[in-house]
Amino acid sequence: MTDSQPAVVARGLTRAFGPLTAVADVSLEIPEGGVFGLLGPDGAGKSTLIRMLATVLVPTSGDAEVFGESVTHRPGRVTPRIGYMSQKFAMYPDLTIAENINFFATLRGVGKADRRERSARLLEGMGLAEFAGRQAGRLSGGMKQKLMLASTLMHEPDLLLLDEPTTGVDPVSRREFWRILAGLQREGKTVLVATPYMDEAERCTSIAFMDEGVITQRGTPDQIKALVPGTLFELVSPEPRAALAAAGAVPGVASAHLYGDVVRVLLSGTDAAGVAHACANAGVAVDSLRPVAIDMEAAFAFLAEEGEAA
Amino acid sequence: MSLKRIRLVMWKEFLQLRRDPLLLRAMFLMPILQLVFFGYVVAADVKNISIAVIDLDHSVASRQLEAEFASSDYFVITQHPATEAELQPLMDKGAVKAALVIPDGTSAALTRGEAAPIGVVVDGSESSSASIASGYAAQIVGEFNQRQIAASGMTIAAPGIDARIRVVFNPTLESINSMIPGLIAALLMISFGALMSQAVVKERESGTLEQMFVTPIKRNEYLIGKLTPYVVLAIAQVAVVAIIGMLWFKVPFYGSWWVVAVGLGLFLLTSVGLGLLISLVSHTRQQAQQTVMFLMIPQMVLSGFIFPVESMPAWIAPIANVIPLTHALVVLRGAFVKGSGFAALATPLWILAAFAVVIFGAAVVQMQRRLAE
Repeated sequence: MTDSQPAVVARGLTRAFGPLTAVADVSLEIPEGGVFGLLGPDGAGKSTLIRMLATVLVPTSGDAEVFGESVTHRPGRVTPRIGYMSQKFAMYPDLTIAENINFFATLRGVGKADRRERSARLLEGMGLAEFAGRQAGRLSGGMKQKLMLASTLMHEPDLLLLDEPTTGVDPVSRREFWRILAGLQREGKTVLVATPYMDEAERCTSIAFMDEGVITQRGTPDQIKALVPGTLFELVSPEPRAALAAAGAVPGVASAHLYGDVVRVLLSGTDAAGVAHACANAGVAVDSLRPVAIDMEAAFAFLAEEGEAA
Repeated sequence: MSLKRIRLVMWKEFLQLRRDPLLLRAMFLMPILQLVFFGYVVAADVKNISIAVIDLDHSVASRQLEAEFASSDYFVITQHPATEAELQPLMDKGAVKAALVIPDGTSAALTRGEAAPIGVVVDGSESSSASIASGYAAQIVGEFNQRQIAASGMTIAAPGIDARIRVVFNPTLESINSMIPGLIAALLMISFGALMSQAVVKERESGTLEQMFVTPIKRNEYLIGKLTPYVVLAIAQVAVVAIIGMLWFKVPFYGSWWVVAVGLGLFLLTSVGLGLLISLVSHTRQQAQQTVMFLMIPQMVLSGFIFPVESMPAWIAPIANVIPLTHALVVLRGAFVKGSGFAALATPLWILAAFAVVIFGAAVVQMQRRLAE
């Protein structure tokens, strides 16, 4: 294996479920090292793509190579090098943390000494050590995800395929999870992570935006954000819904969304006077209206709308 | 095949089974309750009992008596063996459940005004039908006598035919003696259906099945590791039911344990295969459970476990024949009550073997196809 070899090369990867094409002709190259984020709305085909790369789902057509080995022809050579974490919690709920970890690691042929050393290190690093004797079904959401990640890392894979690993996990655990991922990246591992969270996408070294089974955009977070034309304004009002309705009708407004209690208005120009005016006319009070840097949230909303318009 | 991986899966499965609250109930508590329940409660009605008539007298009277049996709703004359020696194999195979033996000289005795003994032989291995059959036979003979008396104008005191009823195999007609062996098979089917059907779908639902496929484990390793603990439990369950049945209910055992082992082994394969099949095609545990319920009830009712197949309408009989339990019951009851050997039970054993091959084979084929989904 040479250093320049990409971790993943997909060529025309396609998977259909009956009449529905979940992934359509996806070609993709992921270089070794770094955290690659797969973004997209629900049903975009992110899970299907990851499952094909993980060899658990056979493509309808096309193929992919993981470190040069075909996922369709030599899945047995791919699996030792990958760690796959499904979207759903996939550990035995009635076995303890230690039993789960040992079971899967032994099944993967990890020797006894390595098992002991690695599980101690991983569980310690993730703050799970004191719960090692607890049944997996009785863990909190964040602990379950960390357990799965620990189990995935036991055989020291070079590529991690993580399917929405932090969905339904509290913000503190999410931050911790990403701290662990950053550590893995420093160790030189390649991480492919699907996520619906835009703040997580910001932490990726490279991202791909997926919609209706195809990858529509690729690049670094900065490149993706640069795709959004115009200026983003945040409008704070005691009546955000009324403000949203007023702002949405102003000419020159590309889109307007409610983001928590804040109205986010994407303008094609840089002047928000028209928005302020419209709100005043509608009798909606405006506490503040100021331009903000375009973030992934805005880019995601913009790209998703583009996708619908197309 | 890696023995190490098989052992690992087995260990994991045992660990899970030990922590499964359903296990104790399904595998041991339920059988004991059923044992008590079925051990004390048995009732059935019988019609169209297949009967053999051995007419050694060849007289008008003997033909009249045969006609009486033929015209009753209770008996269907299916065989006419020439001698009593030919009767035994028919009974061993279960081809006839009862026999009417009219000895030579019956007609002569009747004309002389003497008592004429005839034989009614009843297969007691299915005690409920046996006791009913013997009752019907006595009734028909009684009516026959009445008519003879009326026709001849003889006095009431005339002896007429004296029916000597002899029950073979299960002389005391203890229904429990045939119920317990039946229960062994039925319980095996029920608890296995319930447990096995959950085995794979549980892993599919929990996502661990998918996780399994990113490890080097082979499908046959997974299958063997997964099934072995259940088979061990099944054997333990059979032993518990058999021991309680024989010690508490004092069920005698006349046959060969080899026959029981082969019959149960084949039936076990069928049950495991069926459970596995359900588990593989189901998408949720609940779906699997419902399928099991849906399949179990007709099997219990139609197999002859509670109600003799003879008491069912004629069109049901072919359905009973495609239920593996029907044949497992024949084997177990034959071995326990009649002491039948491999030769006498060859037909049901071959049928069970065919079921085992087809159902277990289908499960293995499905395993290859369904796991990847």
